[in-house]
Amino acid sequence: MANGRLERFLNRFADVRGHEAHAALYLSGFFFLITFTFYIIKPVKESFLIGFASAASWPYADLATALLIGFVVALNTRLLNRLPRRTYISATILFFIGSLLVFWYAFDVHQKSLVSTPVADSSGGIFFVWLPLAIFKAGTIPVFVFSFWTDVFIALSVTQFWIAVNDVFDPYQGKRLVGLFVTGGLFGGIAGSSLAALMVVAKLISAGNLLLLCPVLLVFALMMVNLVYAEQKQLRENAGAEVDPVQAGARVGYWESFLAVKRSRYLLLLAATLASAMVAGSLINFQFKFVVKSVFADTNDRTFFVSVFFLGILVLSTVFHLATTGRILRSFGIRWALLVAPALLLVGSLSVFLVSLGGLLAWVLIVRGGDKLFDNTISQSVRELLYIPVPADIKYKAKIFIDMFVNKFATGLGAGLYWGLYRLSGFDYKGDVAILREIGVLVIVFLVLWIGLTRAAYAEYPAVLKKDLRRITIDGDKAVQQHVDVDLTRDVFDALQSRERSTTLYLMNVFDLVRKNNLTPELKEVLGIKQDEFRARSMDRLFDAGGEVFFHGLDEAIADKDLASEIDLIFLLPSYQEIMVKRLAEDAGSASEVDRMDAAKLIGLMVRSPDSLRFLERFLQDPSPEVVAYALRSAAVHQRVEHVPLILRQLGNPLTVLEAQGTLTNYGPGIEDQLRSVLGDQSEALEVRRAIPVVLARFGTQRSADILLDELTRRRGDLEQEVIDALYKLRADRPEVRFREKQVRPELLYLIEKSYEICLSASGVAAGGGAAVLTSEAKAALDLNVRRIFDLMTLLHPPEDIVKAYQNILKGTRRSGDYSLSLLDDLLDRELKALLFPLIEDLPFEERVLRMKKAVRLK
Amino acid sequence: MLIKTRETNNVVIFDIEGEIRRSESMQTTLHNQVKSHLDRGKRNILLNLEGVEFIDSFGVGEILASYISTQNLGGKLKLCRISKKLFLIFQITMLTKVLDIQEDCEGALESFDKP
Repeated sequence: MANGRLERFLNRFADVRGHEAHAALYLSGFFFLITFTFYIIKPVKESFLIGFASAASWPYADLATALLIGFVVALNTRLLNRLPRRTYISATILFFIGSLLVFWYAFDVHQKSLVSTPVADSSGGIFFVWLPLAIFKAGTIPVFVFSFWTDVFIALSVTQFWIAVNDVFDPYQGKRLVGLFVTGGLFGGIAGSSLAALMVVAKLISAGNLLLLCPVLLVFALMMVNLVYAEQKQLRENAGAEVDPVQAGARVGYWESFLAVKRSRYLLLLAATLASAMVAGSLINFQFKFVVKSVFADTNDRTFFVSVFFLGILVLSTVFHLATTGRILRSFGIRWALLVAPALLLVGSLSVFLVSLGGLLAWVLIVRGGDKLFDNTISQSVRELLYIPVPADIKYKAKIFIDMFVNKFATGLGAGLYWGLYRLSGFDYKGDVAILREIGVLVIVFLVLWIGLTRAAYAEYPAVLKKDLRRITIDGDKAVQQHVDVDLTRDVFDALQSRERSTTLYLMNVFDLVRKNNLTPELKEVLGIKQDEFRARSMDRLFDAGGEVFFHGLDEAIADKDLASEIDLIFLLPSYQEIMVKRLAEDAGSASEVDRMDAAKLIGLMVRSPDSLRFLERFLQDPSPEVVAYALRSAAVHQRVEHVPLILRQLGNPLTVLEAQGTLTNYGPGIEDQLRSVLGDQSEALEVRRAIPVVLARFGTQRSADILLDELTRRRGDLEQEVIDALYKLRADRPEVRFREKQVRPELLYLIEKSYEICLSASGVAAGGGAAVLTSEAKAALDLNVRRIFDLMTLLHPPEDIVKAYQNILKGTRRSGDYSLSLLDDLLDRELKALLFPLIEDLPFEERVLRMKKAVRLK
Repeated sequence: MLIKTRETNNVVIFDIEGEIRRSESMQTTLHNQVKSHLDRGKRNILLNLEGVEFIDSFGVGEILASYISTQNLGGKLKLCRISKKLFLIFQITMLTKVLDIQEDCEGALESFDKP
């Protein structure tokens, strides 16, 4: 089948993309055949066990599995260490085919054994005849061996299936395709149990001969798994990859797989959750067997009932899975999907205390049916989803231990508890209702444990998911803050520049620098050496050059604390103030830009006076941006409210905007309302308004956040970028600041809507005969919008998580991108996810548009 | 200050001549020019400072603002052919810890492809 048709067909069951269609089909076919086989074997096993073992000895089958499965796991891991994955899985299937033939032969021989029997005729004479009798020479032992083998078969096969899925697909693909695989498994189960039931009821074939059908099915399974690995090998060869990294590193032992679980609290919780679910399920199974044994005395009736029960469960599971599992996961997420099974089973188990003898069969059908139904559908899906954040190599090791050991050990524990209760409580002398209630108490304990452990495991889920997600880049301003003292750098460059223009300005700059900073020797050297002597090739040569310094001994002098104190005292002298005001008046009117720069700088060093502030006001309006820059720094020192309008005006000048922003930042949050009124006033210059959000972000107060958010909600496109940038920065710097969801959310949806418009309008062009791609301008606009969406999402969710997700979707590996989507899947609500994912998933443009249209329809 | 722009291998190169200082700058500053390219979806910016003799505090502010804008959009901004004198000051003021400064522009262009 061509990829497109196959994809369309498979899309009925799950979200399958073209390139993965073949592998998905083979693997779901493999799972179908495995469960088909298992559900033929299972009724045979149950039939033999119920027919030939007493209620008191039922637990021995589970206990034997629990005790012996460890050896099988050890053998399995040893073979894994020695064989490549494809060879290993193929060899295991061949082993199962061979052993099935052995079991068939053993059961066949037993059932057709001829026994020489004495017969008396009517005359009293005795003679011997050979009668074909169905007897088991070794008692119930072959039944228990077969029961154990069945457990090994399903445990190994299912584990191998999921290992193959992990080999072929990455986590996000796995999450999308899990529905298809589970569907394949359910259809296989229905086919198997239907066939078994039909054969039994129609008496077409004996139970033992049913086993002969299984090797045929397993041969097809063998073909499927080989097709998958052959295709993967071809794909790797085409891509130039040498060996699949997961398979190359998959040399683990049993002990190592145990340690992988032991080392991780998350995996321990997953194992414990599964164990509690299995113990509860095992105990419910004993309740079921008790009721069935007491209701159906005849073996044939009982066997038929069990077959039909499994068939019914599988049909219901399929319907439930197709109609509900995906919907629950999409609507409520993993968090609530995890609780569906234990919570409903708890309600069902509690009701045992209300049920009378006549209602026991109906009750046990509901509870046992519910347990199997959930186990086949939502519990299985959710369990696999919980493995997603675990790194592939650890997951591989852990799954071996959890699926093959913990699973069976828990079932054995359930059997042991039943066995203990049976003997301690004397079930032989009690009525069915009393027995079921006593077992029910244990069931309830383990269901409560299951709920508690589920919550604990889920609490760890996001942390595990995030562990492998790293920031790819850090924000530009954070990088600068970490390494550079921006004010010092600015002052150094000013000092260097001023040296060629004015000795006074240079010395004021150097004095200011030394007073504010602890300068390094290198910096002092650079500041103390004439500019034309920067001729050396390296620092060493530079400082050994013996060049003439600007002033000999300057670096020592300016570092002298006494000098600094003396200069401060001079600034305080009334006579100095009087003289300097006259000087400022002269400089203010001077045609020389340098004189005015000197004066503007000096005001920042002087003690504040009405006269000096008046001159500062004048310099803030100077035509020279150099003078204004010095005046702005002096204004930052004195912080007079009357200067704010003048400073705000400088925000509109690209040559002074950075200084003006710095000066306003120095004023602090007291000027928030002034900034707010200018920000919202559309008659003000746009450049001025655009420069204000940065200042508010630097204040980092709740009031600043509210002002910015109010401005955003006005939806004036001219400020959108600046306001969102500022909100993002504010949130990143001040986690304590809160943002109202009712304000942020509509803006998020509005941005998503705008992004949709970009894509949908491009698709409209395509429909009219144009190209079905975004133009570079449209793509740039879309990228910018998506960036803004993520920036806004940081206001409602942990910023670090959102930023990591954004960066990894944009620039990360395929796997980290998938982790990011899983993280967002966990963080965001249903509506936001439905609208956002078509924008950020890695999709061909046409498919993206289709999903957008679907999301809009759903909304 | 004179700025010419050209594009090679998806990298926008700014060939700057003169002095990046406040008194030499026009209303359309270096940062504004970088931003307009970022708005058009360009993410790789190379500042060729071969013809730059001096940078004042305004010039440093412009380069840092350009770096921040580019970095925040997931892009890369690099400098090449910076004079030894300027490199020394950049080193002392720790700007070299933030800015990727390459000796020659060809090497800088190639380095955009590396992670």
